Amino acid sequence: MLQAIGAAARLSRTGLSRSLPAFSTSSRLSAEDPASRKEAPIIDNESVFATPEEKKEKMTQVVAITVPTKVDLSPITGVPEEHVKYRRVRIYQPPKNAMQSGTNNIQHWEMEFDTRQRWENPLMGWTSTGDPLSNLKIQFKNPEEAIEHCEKNGWVWFLDVPKIEKDFKPKSYGVNFAWNRRTRVSTK
Amino acid sequence: MLRQPLSRALGLSPSRVAPLTARKFAEQVQAQPDNVELFIDDQPVSVPPGTTVLQAAAQIGVEIPRFCYHERLAVAGNCRMCLVEVEKSPKPIAACAMPVMKGMRVKTNSDLTRRAREGVMEFLLVNHPLDCPICDQGGECDLQDQSMAFGSDKSRFTDIHFSGKRAVEDKDVGPLIKTIMTRCIHCTRCIRFASEVAGVDDFGTTGRGTEMQVGTYVEKMFLSELSGNIIDLCPVGALTSKPYSFAARPWETRRIDSVDVLDPLGSNIVVATRTNEVLRILPRTNEEINEEWLSDKSRFACDGLKRQRLVTPMIADSRGNLTPVDWEEAVVAAASALRDCPPDKLLAVAGELADAESLVALKDLLNRLGSEKVCTEQYFPLEGAGTDLRSSYVLNTKIANVEDADFVLLIGTNVRFEAPLLNARIRKAFIHKETDIASIGPKVDLTYEYIHVGDSASIVKDFATGSSSHEALKRLESAKRPVVIIGADQLKSAEGPALLAYTQELALRLQDKLADKEWKVLNVLQRTASQVAALDIGYKPGVGKHLQDGPKVVFLLGADAGVVTRESLPKDCVVIYQGHHGDVGAAIADIVLPGAAYTEKRGTYVNAEGRAQQTLPAVTPPGRAREDWKIIRALSEVCGARLPYDSLDEVRDRLGELSPALVCYGEVQNNNYFAQARQLAQSLQKPVSGKLDVQLKQLEDFFMTDAISRASPTMAKCVQAVIKQKQSPY
Amino acid sequence: MAGALARVVQATKTHIGVVGPLVNINNGSVRFQQTQTKTKFGPLSDSDRVFTNLYGRHDWRLKGALSRGDWYMTKEIMLKGTDWIVNELKTSGLRGRGGAGFPTGMKWSFMNKPSGGRPKYLVVNADEGEPGTCKDREIMRHDPHKLVEGCLVAGRAIGAQAAYIYIRGEFYNEASNLQVAIAEAYQAGLIGKNACGSGYDFDVFVHRGAGAYICGEETALIESIEGKQGKPRLKPPFPADVGLFGCPTTVNNVETIAVAPTICRRGGAWFASFGRTRNSGTKLFNISGHVNTPCTVEEEMSIPLKELIERHAGGVTGGWDNLLAIIPGGSSTPLIPKDVCETVLMDFDGLVAAQTSLGTAAIIVMDKSTDIVKAIARLIMFYKHESCGQCTPCREGVSWMNKIMYRFVDGNASPKEIDMLWELSKQIEGHTICALGDGAAWPVQGLIRHFRPELERRMAEHAAAHGPSKAERLY
Repeated sequence: MLQAIGAAARLSRTGLSRSLPAFSTSSRLSAEDPASRKEAPIIDNESVFATPEEKKEKMTQVVAITVPTKVDLSPITGVPEEHVKYRRVRIYQPPKNAMQSGTNNIQHWEMEFDTRQRWENPLMGWTSTGDPLSNLKIQFKNPEEAIEHCEKNGWVWFLDVPKIEKDFKPKSYGVNFAWNRRTRVSTK
Repeated sequence: MLRQPLSRALGLSPSRVAPLTARKFAEQVQAQPDNVELFIDDQPVSVPPGTTVLQAAAQIGVEIPRFCYHERLAVAGNCRMCLVEVEKSPKPIAACAMPVMKGMRVKTNSDLTRRAREGVMEFLLVNHPLDCPICDQGGECDLQDQSMAFGSDKSRFTDIHFSGKRAVEDKDVGPLIKTIMTRCIHCTRCIRFASEVAGVDDFGTTGRGTEMQVGTYVEKMFLSELSGNIIDLCPVGALTSKPYSFAARPWETRRIDSVDVLDPLGSNIVVATRTNEVLRILPRTNEEINEEWLSDKSRFACDGLKRQRLVTPMIADSRGNLTPVDWEEAVVAAASALRDCPPDKLLAVAGELADAESLVALKDLLNRLGSEKVCTEQYFPLEGAGTDLRSSYVLNTKIANVEDADFVLLIGTNVRFEAPLLNARIRKAFIHKETDIASIGPKVDLTYEYIHVGDSASIVKDFATGSSSHEALKRLESAKRPVVIIGADQLKSAEGPALLAYTQELALRLQDKLADKEWKVLNVLQRTASQVAALDIGYKPGVGKHLQDGPKVVFLLGADAGVVTRESLPKDCVVIYQGHHGDVGAAIADIVLPGAAYTEKRGTYVNAEGRAQQTLPAVTPPGRAREDWKIIRALSEVCGARLPYDSLDEVRDRLGELSPALVCYGEVQNNNYFAQARQLAQSLQKPVSGKLDVQLKQLEDFFMTDAISRASPTMAKCVQAVIKQKQSPY
Repeated sequence: MAGALARVVQATKTHIGVVGPLVNINNGSVRFQQTQTKTKFGPLSDSDRVFTNLYGRHDWRLKGALSRGDWYMTKEIMLKGTDWIVNELKTSGLRGRGGAGFPTGMKWSFMNKPSGGRPKYLVVNADEGEPGTCKDREIMRHDPHKLVEGCLVAGRAIGAQAAYIYIRGEFYNEASNLQVAIAEAYQAGLIGKNACGSGYDFDVFVHRGAGAYICGEETALIESIEGKQGKPRLKPPFPADVGLFGCPTTVNNVETIAVAPTICRRGGAWFASFGRTRNSGTKLFNISGHVNTPCTVEEEMSIPLKELIERHAGGVTGGWDNLLAIIPGGSSTPLIPKDVCETVLMDFDGLVAAQTSLGTAAIIVMDKSTDIVKAIARLIMFYKHESCGQCTPCREGVSWMNKIMYRFVDGNASPKEIDMLWELSKQIEGHTICALGDGAAWPVQGLIRHFRPELERRMAEHAAAHGPSKAERLY
């Protein structure tokens, strides 16, 4: 996670932190198989019942096969082309709600499509929209996963890294009563 | 009877990953040997001495519940929600105020801790009306959440059948804040905010015990430009937003992160929308700009986005009345006016809310048509280095660094109303860092004490040449991290170039002497959100000269400051206005092209520090209004000077060509070439004799300064209320 | 409120009675550092009295005070220096007379830390508001010079520049007598510049309160002197670190300060010879309520309660057998029933062992004519009225307890609410910023501990007459 954030910060510093060709690196995707990270490995019956020799032979086969191509799901997802090509995904960390002090629900990254028109349904007063992706709000552990997901779907993304890093300053109750400092509290 | 609360609810965050800040800090602290080590829920944590238990817990991601504690306010320690058990201590301690001690073993999830929290929760709810169904805080209420997590599952307040609950009369503190004082849990956050951050010591408590009330004692308006923040701070629904009251529930709204453009700082905001309507604007934490505050104008002027809007293209008919037409008709009319105009008679003026994309598109269009006359409403001296060097027109110190300053000199600026959150930073430095402030200019209330040097421009000269014997200059010269801020308004006058030259001279003379070579002294505080981007793109500041040339076609891009008037233009001049509000500019236009406001487009804005940020569309533009750069792109097509970009990315690539800083979102580069600017300015150091004055002197001047806030009924109410309050004897 | 409210360390408490299922039995033990040899305590002989003009029979002004030995050898005491005075106080075993019973010598020695250029202050807590307590006012009215001299000696011991005497606003005569005494002392050169010719500069100021009980809590008192609302501060920082105007400060009770000069003159060992170990000295006891001759009397510590009442207060009205209960240390201490009163010794440890506290030694005697529930309810009403409202458990909890208590008076409650009330009081106790919450919780706890059958009887009676209480609904 730490690395991911560091990477995100680095990405943002490069100025154009968005999925222009400079960033849609298929080599990065091929380096680690996304499926292997999030899910338990699928073991088929054959490998379970295989003899050690067979296993070894199979392993060499597995190692030999590399999949350097970028995984692109967009042709098979069925999402209309206009939503794939012309829309952009924002990858961000949800901001803390200014009205509340809790931070439990903002420790992840999210992706969201740009806002399209919404209107009030004249019959019931509900919010309507013609945008099938308007509620596609997916949570990720880190921005890299989100980027990967977008690349896989062929979505144009950009990264928004919040500026929430803050210098640590110890709080002190005693300064409220300091004898020669302006932190002295006047009102109660 | 004391139920064991759900362990799930309490297992809030110990296992969770620490937030970003904590991590960074954890790395830092390992280097320091004098740290104190303690154990929180048996996890070791090492923090500097003096840190509170609550902060130490936050380091390892343990969130201790709290009501009164707020990290940006003084510690009060009165809600008792943060009580935690400490081994070998007979009673629980308040984590928010207790400094850490070596080897302390804190248990944030023990039975004693839970019982203490449950007890406090129970007491808080005894006199809380529990009117959540009709409370605007419902759904984003700390009391609701924490009573779910830490409270008991049933009430045993039998006295509800006998004497009922306490009721408190509501207070009237102005048109922005609605008070329902019965809901108050007396955390005193609003009081502390008012006295520490806002600098208005009006709030306080009266009465004792259950009779204690938070209020102003004598009923009066909360006269502050930051008053809206107490709505956010209030952990319950005692202080809610008046304009937003009963408008929506938090779960009904969509939140879109965006950037504010109503002051030059570019505060980060969250726009809450429902259907196609902006309901409210909340601040979004950005440590480098607005921390987590927001000025009242930025927060409450959003109802101006629904009024006075230009929703359809319009063309003046034979009698001069604007009549709605189709886009095609309007674009053709505008394009033919542009095309037929001799290039030297073509003028474009950009206003204060224009985004960088439309600015660059407009400039490219005019350049293609052969005109170089693209300018902004706000003037800036072109003599000397002019706008060639970025360092001479931005805040070089940067907003966040102002906190570290040890002496601040303000020249002709009322920071409090021109950039409220910069003023909040200065006040923070004033309180926490013992920073002193001096001001040259009219005497205004900046919410902190400052040395008033005078209002004569010649003082700036004396300071620059070092011939002044004033105490403030001595302090400035001995300061290790001085900051000089000059208001851009001062540079409009004939003496502007000289003033800027003197300020540069002064600032750089100070800067050269500093031990800290990274520290920047010179700051120019722009007044509008578009100015820095416009200057970066190459707009000429000020329209004065070009108006005298008698332009045939004037293209106003949201120019509503009233700099261009019908009287100043030739009779046959065609005025094209593109913008989102029917304000000053649209009133004089022959052709009106409806554009999008900042909540309706993805636009780049560069704040006063030179930090590029982008707004995101929260709603779609009303009616037939369109995104601004697209309108200009369409115009270019029709008038035969086709612009080479078709998508926003291409426009932004063009912006990046002009200046990479314009597309480095969120970042701000350090500026250089101070010495060159100083050298170029040296010849301009002519005697000055005028008086420095600022436009926004009083709170009532603050609320309505641009097309959006002028259209906002809430802002109008604020102005009225402030004037009324000023007439009252209290 | 003279700090009877200050907390007694709960760990040393031994619970005797088992009341209901909720009482924890805490087998703490009272520690004795030295062996106790003396077994008989009191009566105090006249020659050993510190306050020789307690009843105002003699002149209270400087002349009279001098004739009683005040200001005698003060200069010499001061010249012996800080360490000598603090040591003498430590030897004497004097414990704070305001209620918490913190060893005074130790408290003063905390002021030795470097102050970083800040002045140091002595604050005298003369905000005696604890119901039942009337000892400090006698000192200030009849023996003010003892206090003024004590200020000087204590000020010298802690290195203070000035003493602030925060006197309760209602004490008009006391304040004016004290003011006269201070003026006399200034005129005689006893305080002020070069006090007593010792080369030490010391000022004494009187600050009159405005009638808030909470201002007797030391940090609230400091806030009040600073001109703010008297709302207690959290500790740490302790006043010895950040006190009055942010400077190191020691806050002491009037009686503590007033006995200090005598201790210095007669020696700490003399003072330590009275009372049990760790509870040494003489003490002003205020006996009020249902006794034949209510009085304030100076007696030896550790005197048996029964003897104290019989000897000085003329016994309980209607005889000892008419006794119902006694509140032994001012309104904030839990009451003790008659059987405990028979044997209990009036000192810190003795009363802690009886699950109560010495507090300010204000003994409130209640005979069998007392409506004990109503009496305690009235006390809670007082605490509800005087709660500052700053912190949640006290603000909300005490007023809730008050509501419940008044229903208990009528019996209009559910017997299950007794346990609830007990829990509420436990939820307040120890969770508040200052000790007022504890002080409000303890009387209720005392009542439930010793008079639960009485509460249940009233509820049964009320239910018989009016049907089940509305409070039953929730159960």
